[in-house]
Amino acid sequence: MKVRVIVIGFAALGAGGGLLARGATRIGVHQGYAPEQPIAFPHKIHAGDNQIPCLYCHSGARTSRHAGIPSASVCMNCHGLIEKQTTEIQRLKEAVQQGRPIVWNKVHNLPDFVYFNHSQHVISGVACQRCHGAVEHMDRIEQAAPLTMGWCLGCHRSEAHVPTSTFARVAKNVRDRPTPFAGEDCTSCHY
Amino acid sequence: MNRRPACEEAETAATAIATGSPLVQIGLPTGTRSTGFEASRRDVLSLMGFSLGALGLGSGCRAPVQHAVPLPAASTEMVPGVPNLYATTCGACSASCGLVVKQRDGRPIKIEGNDASPLTRGGTCAAGQASVLSLYDDARLRGPVWLGNPVSWEEIDRHIKTMLNAGSGDPRAVVLLSQTITSPSALAVLNDFRVAFPSFRHVVYDPMSLAALREANRLAHGAAVVPHFRFDRARVVVGLEADFLGTWLAPVEFARQWSRRRTADGERAFHVQCESGMSVTGSNADLRLAIAPSELGPFAVALLAAVARRVSDDGLAGLRGAGLAPDAPHAAAIDRIADALARHRGEALVVTGSNDVATQLVVAKLNALLGGVGKTVDLEQPSLQRQGDDAQVADLIQQMNRGAVRALIVWGANPVYDHPDGVAFTAALKKVPLTISLADRRDETGAHVRALCPDHHFLESWGDAEPVRGQFSLRQPLIAPLHDTRSGVESLLVWAGRPTDHRTRLRDFWQRELHPRALGAGPFEGFWERSLERGVVEMPQPAVAVHAFAGDWQGAVRDIVTRGGRPPTEAYELALQETVGARDGRHANNPWLQELPDPITRLTWGNVACIAPATAAAQGITTGDVVTLTTEVGKLELPAFVQPGQERRTISVAIGYGRWAAGKAGDGVGGNVFPLVRVENGLRRASAPVTLSKTGRRARLAPAQTHFSMEGRDIVQTMALGQDKHEAEHEHEHEALPNLWRERLHGAHAWGMSIDLDACTGCSACVVACQAENNVPVVGAEQVRKSRIMHWMRIDRYLEGDGEDVISHHQPMMCQHCQHAPCETVCPVLATTTSSEGINQQVYNRCIGTRYCANNCPYKVRRFNWHNFTANDDFPFNMTSPLGRLVLNPDVTVRSRGVMEKCNLCVQRIQLAKNQALLQRRPMADGDVATACQQACPTGAIVFGDLADAQSRVSKLLAGRRAYRVLEDLGTRPNVGYLKKITSKETT
Repeated sequence: MKVRVIVIGFAALGAGGGLLARGATRIGVHQGYAPEQPIAFPHKIHAGDNQIPCLYCHSGARTSRHAGIPSASVCMNCHGLIEKQTTEIQRLKEAVQQGRPIVWNKVHNLPDFVYFNHSQHVISGVACQRCHGAVEHMDRIEQAAPLTMGWCLGCHRSEAHVPTSTFARVAKNVRDRPTPFAGEDCTSCHY
Repeated sequence: MNRRPACEEAETAATAIATGSPLVQIGLPTGTRSTGFEASRRDVLSLMGFSLGALGLGSGCRAPVQHAVPLPAASTEMVPGVPNLYATTCGACSASCGLVVKQRDGRPIKIEGNDASPLTRGGTCAAGQASVLSLYDDARLRGPVWLGNPVSWEEIDRHIKTMLNAGSGDPRAVVLLSQTITSPSALAVLNDFRVAFPSFRHVVYDPMSLAALREANRLAHGAAVVPHFRFDRARVVVGLEADFLGTWLAPVEFARQWSRRRTADGERAFHVQCESGMSVTGSNADLRLAIAPSELGPFAVALLAAVARRVSDDGLAGLRGAGLAPDAPHAAAIDRIADALARHRGEALVVTGSNDVATQLVVAKLNALLGGVGKTVDLEQPSLQRQGDDAQVADLIQQMNRGAVRALIVWGANPVYDHPDGVAFTAALKKVPLTISLADRRDETGAHVRALCPDHHFLESWGDAEPVRGQFSLRQPLIAPLHDTRSGVESLLVWAGRPTDHRTRLRDFWQRELHPRALGAGPFEGFWERSLERGVVEMPQPAVAVHAFAGDWQGAVRDIVTRGGRPPTEAYELALQETVGARDGRHANNPWLQELPDPITRLTWGNVACIAPATAAAQGITTGDVVTLTTEVGKLELPAFVQPGQERRTISVAIGYGRWAAGKAGDGVGGNVFPLVRVENGLRRASAPVTLSKTGRRARLAPAQTHFSMEGRDIVQTMALGQDKHEAEHEHEHEALPNLWRERLHGAHAWGMSIDLDACTGCSACVVACQAENNVPVVGAEQVRKSRIMHWMRIDRYLEGDGEDVISHHQPMMCQHCQHAPCETVCPVLATTTSSEGINQQVYNRCIGTRYCANNCPYKVRRFNWHNFTANDDFPFNMTSPLGRLVLNPDVTVRSRGVMEKCNLCVQRIQLAKNQALLQRRPMADGDVATACQQACPTGAIVFGDLADAQSRVSKLLAGRRAYRVLEDLGTRPNVGYLKKITSKETT
């Protein structure tokens, strides 16, 4: 009886400890975060059905560290001409008419002590879906990846040694050097 | 009390416990009563512990929601995250250096020099670097104020125009009292004002005046100009009480010129500095003499006589008997200097900052005798940078008192604070019916005027500048005006009845007046756009009509000799000094400048009375004793500071302190020394006889450096001129220390830096640039006293010798990026490691604040965040203010409490350059990356680059014979190397 109590006690402690550890390490990880947005913009229709390229709207990703959320004027490039009207499109048009900027709920948030530069990754040929998941199938944007440092390093360690196709054309001398270059250093992302 | 974004659940629980309501949403541990709040204290504590723990782990803490708010209309020009660079002109002083300012998300955050400027070639000074912060100053006025009440522009214009136009037949003057206006378009606007008000007068006011220099040139050469001095054309430079590398006239340009001639080979320029207090310029001279201000005139005369004996056939008859006696203290030195000058006629330059016409005339004669006019002293394309007229200002005060002025507009001047007769000026202001201040805040003068019509900050403003005749630069706004301010030019135009916006006016001026004189510029549109983009334009102007020297130098000599040197009865003289941090006091509310350690005294947050060691010993004064300085016209109590190199009987005090209406940071810091000297014969003095007495009290200073000896270690190494050619080979091969560590994997680059100790003047532009670029917090005087100053870059000053012959060395010191770093081995969490590219990296989020790394660092370059400077009201500086935070660099983490930080070789700039190379499909090139300190330096002393590339500038510099590493014997193998300072006691 006593032994049983002890064994169950240890098992419970182990399980509790495991849950504690899992909870503690998942603090700040928001995988699955899919907040409601002021306008229920469906990527499924735009990026999926209509096959609009990601960089058409999120043009910042090409040249800047921030991919950015497009200004309403980018939406109006098409919706100024399209006749289709829904509640959401109505909300967009009202915001544009009133000159009111739309306050989106940012889904993918990195802590302040992390520096992430979109343009470096985009220009190196990393597909958007690699980190953001199958956005073209999402009605409401959900954070598909954990975005933890370990998860980033997984790719950096396995793939970043090999120059991607775009970069290979860029820096022949880098390819010829068997040395790590793409950000395994702490200062690649933390400064 | 720091408020962190809290878990919502935890906050609920805490509130519940605080209010005493029972917790019902979770199960209570057995043994506690479930209703009421009669549980014992022990029960409550266990309840708290259990519930908070369960809540925290069970549901997981939630993070606050973040928003992304794009602009309603997309802009191709402003892409979030991509900086824009705009060329403009600095307004921190009248030197008007060309700038390129970095703008992020529509606001300027970093000031850099404009490489295209032929004058400054990209250099900046500490005040210029810091002026971006004054844009975000909370003390700035939010809008116009009339008789103490905030009003609209329409209303204040109505009041002002009514009062101005009411006096159309009134003979009383309408006066503009302004700082030197180097803007040709603004000067043209003044003409419009004159048309509207025929009794208009423009009086130019400089707290540290060069009026005597202009007057001397008028007498000597027929034009009242400040010459454009060319230190780069001089083999021998003699400075007489002129801190031209620090603050005199155009220090950024002069530093660049001076350093161009300070080569390591035999053609090196020889620099002699004669001054009373130790200045930045004096600390870099080859030969420095300490002479009192009253001895300056006789010294100049003796020098003239000595040079005349060597170059003139008759030794200049009027000088007979005017030299110093052979046994006078400086006779031997004068002979040496005269030898050097005479040997290099046509390539010699003598400058003096004295505000005595006779002395300036003697120096002008000296330059003429040495054939410098037209070569090192350019009178035909003169400087337009300090045009203050002391006599007119003195006149103005009298006129105001007599009631002969009906309107006074004060623009960029603060005479209530910095005029010797400030009290008289205040009284005189009351006699002027309409007084207007265009200052950006309610400063000392603004407190006594009727109307406050705040001008824009120069970063919000259009404009232009002509600092030297023929050299033009443009100013364009980097941000829409933050407050309801209005350009001073626009204000004047409105009141003159010709309202025009500044940009239109500027453009029209350039189209009408300047473009026609721009040879080969093509149509105006293209010329205008190109000029705005480039920032600087050279448009040769007709030469000023001057004639050969024809001044009454004999009269000047007689005048000086009659006055004699120091009166034997007076014990001491007070000398005013303009320092690189405080300047003339206009930046007193800028905490970056208040905390900038003075390169000479290494003090922050206040000024002191600098006393020579021998004098202090004789008087029984030690550093920190509060002394009273009493002159004929004023009295001031200041802490004493024993300053090696200080002239024996001169007490030097920095101007620009002791303000009382600058703002929270600047008020009450230091003492105001301006009222202690006076205006004599219509000229502002910079010195006065003074008596010194001890008060018996002590004051606590805030020094950034308390120990000035190298203790026998070779921290600053020097090399005699020419020695680098003869140095034996074997001296350079150091015995390689055995290596205990395995070799690290190296990446594509090895970032390193070279600092040329010979080129470094100690101006400290790099210190402020680093602070601006890297979000380095300001800590305040109390923390500085605890040695907790946060600057990543510091300029150490070491002294060799003592007494008046002391030699001063400046050494910029920051993280040396050791390849065998002592700090890395002791970090328990590996928050600091060396990257594959040689940078010693500090990972803020990993650091747990053990501080062992700072302990182990032999260079003491690591800085610990003892407080959370962003959320602590004990530090009311830019990081706690919503407006002040706008200056922060978004690419650099803002560190929290408990985290170590240090120089990281501007890794954000390296990463950006790598990214740009990637975007442009090319490998990185040498020169792609300029660290903030490198970019700011006016002499180019700092060179950053890739040590793995043998062809890079830095590799070549560090492979040279002058290169060494600091504390090399410790085996740290730093990637930062220094170039030995060259000592040359003789000119070749």
